[in-house]
Amino acid sequence: MRKLTVMDTSALILKIKRYNPEKDPPRWTETFNVETKKGMNLLEALLRIQDEQDPTLSFRYSCRGAVCGSCAMKVNGKLVLACRTPVEGLLGETTLIEPLPFFPVIRDLIVDMSLFFEHYRGIEPYLHGKPIPSDCEYMMMESERKEIDPYIQCILCGICFGVCPAFGRDAQFLGPAILAKAYRFLRDPRDRREKEILNGVNDHRGVWGCNTVFQCVKACPKEVPPTHAIVKMRGRILRYRFTSLFSRFLSMSRRIGSR
Amino acid sequence: MEFLTHDILIIGGGLAGLRAAIEAQKAGRDVAILSKVHPLRSHSVAAQGGINSAFDNIPVPTNDSWENHSFDTIKGSDYLADQDAVEVMCREGIERVIEMEHWGTLFSRTEDGRIAQRPFGGSGFPRTCYAADRTSHNLLHVLYEQVVGLRIPVYEEWHALSLVVDEGQCIGVLAFPLFEERTVPIRAEATILATGGYGRIYLRSTNAIINTGKGCYLAYQVGVPLEDMEFVQFHPTSLFGTNILITEGARGEGGYLVNVKGERYMERHAPHLMELGPRDIVARATQREIDEGRGFEGQYVHLDLRHLGRGKIMDHLPGIRQIAMDFAGIDPILNPIPIQPAQHYSMGGIPTNVDGETPLPGLYAAGECACVSVHGANRLGGNSLLETLVFGARAGRKAASNVKRKKRESNPLAFQKQSEAFQSCLHELSSRQEGEPCFRLRDELKTLMTDQVGIFRRESDLLSAKEKIRELKERFGRIGLKQKNLDFNNEWIQYLELEGMLHVAEVITEGALTRKESRGSHFRTDYPDRDDEHWLRHTLAYKTTEGARLEYKEVTITNYPPKERTY
Repeated sequence: MRKLTVMDTSALILKIKRYNPEKDPPRWTETFNVETKKGMNLLEALLRIQDEQDPTLSFRYSCRGAVCGSCAMKVNGKLVLACRTPVEGLLGETTLIEPLPFFPVIRDLIVDMSLFFEHYRGIEPYLHGKPIPSDCEYMMMESERKEIDPYIQCILCGICFGVCPAFGRDAQFLGPAILAKAYRFLRDPRDRREKEILNGVNDHRGVWGCNTVFQCVKACPKEVPPTHAIVKMRGRILRYRFTSLFSRFLSMSRRIGSR
Repeated sequence: MEFLTHDILIIGGGLAGLRAAIEAQKAGRDVAILSKVHPLRSHSVAAQGGINSAFDNIPVPTNDSWENHSFDTIKGSDYLADQDAVEVMCREGIERVIEMEHWGTLFSRTEDGRIAQRPFGGSGFPRTCYAADRTSHNLLHVLYEQVVGLRIPVYEEWHALSLVVDEGQCIGVLAFPLFEERTVPIRAEATILATGGYGRIYLRSTNAIINTGKGCYLAYQVGVPLEDMEFVQFHPTSLFGTNILITEGARGEGGYLVNVKGERYMERHAPHLMELGPRDIVARATQREIDEGRGFEGQYVHLDLRHLGRGKIMDHLPGIRQIAMDFAGIDPILNPIPIQPAQHYSMGGIPTNVDGETPLPGLYAAGECACVSVHGANRLGGNSLLETLVFGARAGRKAASNVKRKKRESNPLAFQKQSEAFQSCLHELSSRQEGEPCFRLRDELKTLMTDQVGIFRRESDLLSAKEKIRELKERFGRIGLKQKNLDFNNEWIQYLELEGMLHVAEVITEGALTRKESRGSHFRTDYPDRDDEHWLRHTLAYKTTEGARLEYKEVTITNYPPKERTY
C-alpha cells in the first residue's frame, strides 16, 4: 500500500478545552501539534492525539462519515461535526476546540445529552399509524414524501441546541431538532395525530419559544430546516384558532338568530 | 456484588438488536439493550442503498416472487448459503419490510404511491426498496422510535467485557459503564449478540470506527465456533481516501465504472449485468484494473454519474452527493467520483439456526455478527438490512419463548471470578509503564490484513500473515497502559477490542489458508476455481491455545442444486 504523502504546509495546532472533575483545576486548555496528511479531517486528528500523545483525551465518535451524529463540537467558535471538518482549512494558526455548548460537560469534549433525548421522548416520536391491513403498505405520493424528507435527515447530533438563542430565555424549550421531529409526524399522511401534536407544541416551550433567527437552519450539518417547521406549525395553530373562533361566532349568531 | 437482572439482554443497538428487543418486549419479557454507543450512532445508520423484498412493485410488474429472490441470493452466495435459511429470509422479509413502512419508514414511492424498488447487483428484478440513498438511517431511526415507544431500557455507552457461562449455559454478561468506575454483572436468561461486523481489522474499510468484531470474539472466547470467517466482502465502490461507502444504488440508478482509458471495464468481467454484477465480481474486476495499471494515480477508478443528470442525482442519490462533496470535494453532477474497493461486510460469524440460537444454550446472535448462513460466500446488496430485521425478530421471538417462568438460580461466583480477573488484568497492564502501546499493534494488523488477506489471496501471503498475527499476539502480551482507572479509559477499551481483533484476524486467515478453492468473495490466485467436491461446506473455527482449530459442516441444499455461476 502506498503511503499518503505528508503535507508540506505547517502543522495542525489544536488548543483543546479539557475537563476532568477529579483534577485540580478541573478545567484547563491544552495545546497539541498534529502531523497532518492529505485529506485528513479533524476527527482523525483527534484520534491521532489520543493514540500518540494523550490517551486520556475523551470525545465521542463512530461512523466518521457524518451520518451518526456523535462528534459534534465547537471549532473556532463554529459548531461542526469533527469528521466533516477537513483540517486543510485549519492549518497554520491555532484552532480552538471546545465541547458542544448548552449541554453539561462530562469529560473533555463529551457532553451529557440526556435533556435532548428527554425532550425527544416527550413528543412521542413514533408514528401513530392510521389503521391499515397488515399485508400492504400505506399509499403515499412522492410529493408527500418530499415534503417530509428534509426533516428525516436529522441525525440528532445536538448542534442546533448549541446554537439556539431561545434556550437563554427558557431552558425547557423543546429545541429545534425536537420541533422538526414533531413536524415530520404532523406532515406524515400515515400519522393519525394532528391536534395532539399541535397541542404538544402550542406554548412557549414549543413553537412560540422560537426566536425565528434561523441559527439552527444555518448550523445544521444535514441541511434540516427546523425554523421552517416551526413557522409552519405556528401557521396551523393560528388557522385552528381562527376557525374555532369563527365557528364559535357562527354557532352563537345562529343561536341568536333562532331565538 | 450488585446484580442487574433481565429476562433477555441484547448486546448491540443497531438494526438487529433493536428489532430483537421489540419482538421480545412485545412477547411480554423484561428486555434491555446494552450498547457501547447510543443506538442511533450504530453502524447500521450508514447503510445507504436499500433493502430487498420481492414486492413486484416496479415499474412495470415483472412477476417477481420470494422464490426468485431466494434463487438470486443462493446463486450470489456461490451456493454456500444454507438454502432453508435463505427461503425463510426471502419469504418473511416481505412482512418485515411492510412492518417498517407501517412504523414510519419514509420509503421512496412509485408513481402510484407504492414502495419504490431499484435494481441492485446480482438480482434478476428491481427489488431493492429504498428511502433515497439513506435507507438505513431511516430504518434505524424508525426502530429506535419504536424502542422509545415501548420504553425498552438501554444501557447506553456500556462495554460488554465477557459472557458468563455456568454449567454449559450462558447466564449473562459482565459489563461496565464507560464513564464509571465499576464493573456490573448482568444476569439474563437469554443473551442476544447483535454487535455487527469487524471491518476495522482492515486498513481500508467502509465500516464505522467502532466495528471491531468484539461480539464475535465474546462468543469465540467461551468456546462457540465462528463460521465461514474467510468470506469477507469487499465493496467495489468506497470513496478514495476515506473509504466511506458509495452505495451500489449509484450503479442501480445507472452509474458507470470507468478506468483511466475511459473504458467501462465491466464489459470484460460481467458482460450481461455489467456494473450490476454481484459485489465479489465487481470488486475483483475493479482491483484488477487498478493493479494492472488502468487506474488513476495507480489507486482508484471512476464512478461516473454525470449522465444521470442533476434531477436524478438530487432525488435518488442526495446522500452520495453530499458525501462526495464533504469528503472528496467533488460534485458528482459535474465530476466522476474516485472510488476503490474496501472491506465492507462479514458473511461469516457466530453460527445460528433460523431462530438465532447458537451452539451455546442461552446465547443467541443476529445480524452481521451471526452466520445463519444466508449470504454464503458472497452477500447480495440489499440483503444485509433484510437479514437484520428477519433474524433479529426471530431471535427475539425464540429467546422470549425459551425464557422460563421459573428462573434458575444463577451462580454469583461465576460472575465474581471473572470480575476479579479483569480487575487484576487492568492492574497488571497499568503497572507496565514501559509496555508497547495498543495502537501500534492495531495499525500493523490493519495493514497486513488489507495487504495479505484481501481481495486476492495466495498461500505465501496467507502464511506470512498467519506468522505476523502470531507475532502480534505475543507482543499483545507485553502491552502496557498509562491509566489504571476503569472510567474513561480509552486505552483499556482499545486493549480489550484489540484482543478480539487479533483473534478474529487469525480465524479469517486460517480459514482462507486452508480453503484451497475460490468461491464468492474468497479468491485464491493459486486455486482460482470453485471446488464443490471438497469445499462445498462451511468452516467452523474453534479457539485453542495454539490458535484456531478448523472443522467443517454440510451446506443445506433444498431446491437449488449448485451450478456454474456466470453473470
